[in-house]
Amino acid sequence: MTLFDLVVRSMRKNLKHYYLYFFALILSVVLYFVFASLQHDTTVMERTATSFNMSSAFKAAGILLLFISGVFVLYANSIFLKRRSREVGLYQLIGLSKFTVARMLITENFLLGTGALAIGIGIGLLVSRVFLLLLMKLVGIDGVLTLSFSVAAILQTVIVFVALLALTSLQMAFAVKRSTLLELFKADQSGERIKKPKVITSAVLGILGILLIGFGYWLSGNMLNNMLFYNMIAVLVSVILGTYLLFRITIGWVLYQIRMSKNGHLGLSNSLSLAPLMHRMKANANSLTIITVLSAMTLTMLAAAYSVYYSTEKESRLLQPFDYMIQDDVEATNQFTKSLDEAGIGYKAASIEELQLKANFEEAPNPLLMGTGVNIRVVSEDQLGNAGHLIDVKDRNSGVFLESSLYWMLKSVDVPFKLIMDPRDLNKTIPIERFAEGNAFNSVEFFSTLVVKEKQFQSMKSEYLAHEDNELHHSTAINLKDEVQFEEATRLYDEIDARWKKWDYYTQYQNALQSSGMLIFIAGFLGLVFLISTGSILYFKQMTEAEQEKASYTTLRQLGFSVQEIMKGVVKKQLFVFGLPLAIGLLHSIFALKSASFIFMSDVTVPTVITMSVYIGIYLVFAFLTVGYYRKTIQAAL
Amino acid sequence: MSQQTTMLEATSLRKSFGKRGQIQHVLKGIDFRVMEGEFVGIMGPSGAGKTTLLNVLATIDRTTEGSIKINGTDISSMNDRKLSQFRRDQLGFIFQDYNLLDTLTVKENILLPISVGNVKRVVAEDRFKSIARTLGIPELANKYPGEISGGQKQRTSAARALINEPSIVFADEPTGALDSKSAASLLGTLAKVNDERDVTIMMVTHDPVASSYCNRVVFLKDGTIYSELYRGDQTRQQFFQEILKVQGILGGDSVDAL
Repeated sequence: MTLFDLVVRSMRKNLKHYYLYFFALILSVVLYFVFASLQHDTTVMERTATSFNMSSAFKAAGILLLFISGVFVLYANSIFLKRRSREVGLYQLIGLSKFTVARMLITENFLLGTGALAIGIGIGLLVSRVFLLLLMKLVGIDGVLTLSFSVAAILQTVIVFVALLALTSLQMAFAVKRSTLLELFKADQSGERIKKPKVITSAVLGILGILLIGFGYWLSGNMLNNMLFYNMIAVLVSVILGTYLLFRITIGWVLYQIRMSKNGHLGLSNSLSLAPLMHRMKANANSLTIITVLSAMTLTMLAAAYSVYYSTEKESRLLQPFDYMIQDDVEATNQFTKSLDEAGIGYKAASIEELQLKANFEEAPNPLLMGTGVNIRVVSEDQLGNAGHLIDVKDRNSGVFLESSLYWMLKSVDVPFKLIMDPRDLNKTIPIERFAEGNAFNSVEFFSTLVVKEKQFQSMKSEYLAHEDNELHHSTAINLKDEVQFEEATRLYDEIDARWKKWDYYTQYQNALQSSGMLIFIAGFLGLVFLISTGSILYFKQMTEAEQEKASYTTLRQLGFSVQEIMKGVVKKQLFVFGLPLAIGLLHSIFALKSASFIFMSDVTVPTVITMSVYIGIYLVFAFLTVGYYRKTIQAAL
Repeated sequence: MSQQTTMLEATSLRKSFGKRGQIQHVLKGIDFRVMEGEFVGIMGPSGAGKTTLLNVLATIDRTTEGSIKINGTDISSMNDRKLSQFRRDQLGFIFQDYNLLDTLTVKENILLPISVGNVKRVVAEDRFKSIARTLGIPELANKYPGEISGGQKQRTSAARALINEPSIVFADEPTGALDSKSAASLLGTLAKVNDERDVTIMMVTHDPVASSYCNRVVFLKDGTIYSELYRGDQTRQQFFQEILKVQGILGGDSVDAL
């Protein structure tokens, strides 16, 4: 029998162990290949390069993807190496040299790897079209897609995964080289001795873990000052460290206390959940921490990206309240309305006056980002309302202040807040009754606006226009009656040559959709890879544990415990293994989103809840698979 | 000790393995009976069907033919769920490899069989204390199996077998992995438990020394009962000599090796 025969035989016999690793490899290849083909696809590049620097985003995401796939494959490989240690030991025992054993493993690895590569690229070719369709739908491009067969993408994938294979082979060679026979036979029954925790040290460290997380959460809600960057680092460090201590010390301490209180009367379900968990607490702390932090990151990234995408329309409307707007150019306005009429597009036009002034806040609302002086334009509530943009002003003497780029910061300022108009000799002070979100006018440059009652506006107009620094502008706001005609109307609008043509809603919306669509696509893609990696790692680890505990299950069944009774304990353990990182990850991401909520102009609750539900749903699939594997193991145990 | 009730009764037991065409008959019609309070040893050469008999009687495996009654209950027609329940309520097990759960302490291991039942905690605690004392392991309560010796592990295993106050304890080569001193000590304890607590024990073993602790030894050969020996009033040494004689005729593996 040649070495190759031996390899083929052992692979056939180990198929049960292999298929998961194989599946994981294939999945990594498919996802990477899809990403690479999108990266090399010209249609995507051409259509989006105009508005958003997509190629660099894709490149960064590609590197991240590569990194995750690499870590995942190496990790999975190390788990499988450990599972097979007995076999490796046996080969050495019957007289194969370490070199031969390593060569055998590496041959296997290459057979497996090239197989996965071929299958993965095959599947990738089929599904990349679906992903391209999805991407184009997300960024709002429709049209025929011609995803060409990309040799470059294949080459890139092959190079990357052959390199990864080489790396895993090295990992195997090192593992075999380092191993001693004794170790190899013992690796299967590893586990820690449970020591009595040092009461004071572990209590202190355990509480410190919780305190660190609490401090991180608190700081994340209070970090908007000139130390922002350092605060962010501090939040990250304290939360991650706290999470580690939580898994390493706090939970172990709590479990130990529970166990002590039972005084030996542990019960079956605790014997199958609490005891094995404590047995592997030290080894599990690292992976549980990593999985928690990864989950939190993924969830935050996904929820943020989805929130941006979800509110694209709303935010575009907040920024450009009117469909079209032309300022101080009657001729251009007439030209535009005429061409709309000719095209048979229904619209409603209204004119709005804006009075440009200088003003001073009584004190700076936020010393870091805003001084006291401000350029402001004053508009009338009624005129805006006529044009279709309703901003409610309650008091006849006060006003509503809009500054879309700073709303997140202004919304926490106490009102009424006094605004003193220039020149001072007119002695006019207008209290701001509230800060509203978005713009009052279409604009690209951010401009502060004060909306006041019509009567107040008229009196200010007559008073302030006398002053030479102040100007009055006349704008026309045009809103379409039917949204279906946006595309054509916008084409007509672009043809108009006007002195002050303001940004239009539809273009704003299209651009926002492209960048946010791209964002959600990349985030979703990476999120999926993260999720599959973390889920698989948990699954692999639990599979190994199930194998290690098989003897215990046999004993329990011989003692007369039914599969159902044993499963109760197993489910309890999985609740801990899967549930705890998820719960803590969710909590982390909720706080992260809360602290980052200033980025979003609108409420993110709905998109966040949707994202988290989907994430939990996919995550649970892995938990169910794990429980299923345990059930099979226990059923076969007797 | 008066021999009153029958604890275990097996009638024309047959067990075969394999598919049609290549069936291997392991038990070929065994009639067998254990009285309450008996300490029975099962001996025989490798392949005689000792472990199969034990597994079948202990409800871990099913018979092909024949019926088994334990403490008046017919177990041959029970379904798996009922069998599990029955094992937990009525039977005790001691295995060659101890089969302790590494993640549990000695005490937790011992209390495991009564952990899903309606035994009150106070009662369980009392039972544990009394059994641990009988087996001489009370000071090991909070140790893990990894921290104690083979003999201590087997005592723990024996304590676990006794905690549910079973009708009968099945022991499969309990001394197989022990040195002779630990083995003698364990067997002495089992004999003491049998005597003082009136526990019925059925033990499968290769070892003539081990079986000399029994009241009766049954010899199996090729799936049938070959002969039986009662200890009666003999000393253990005399009984041992008798066992050796039968084993010599039988051609047991330990004799072959000499």
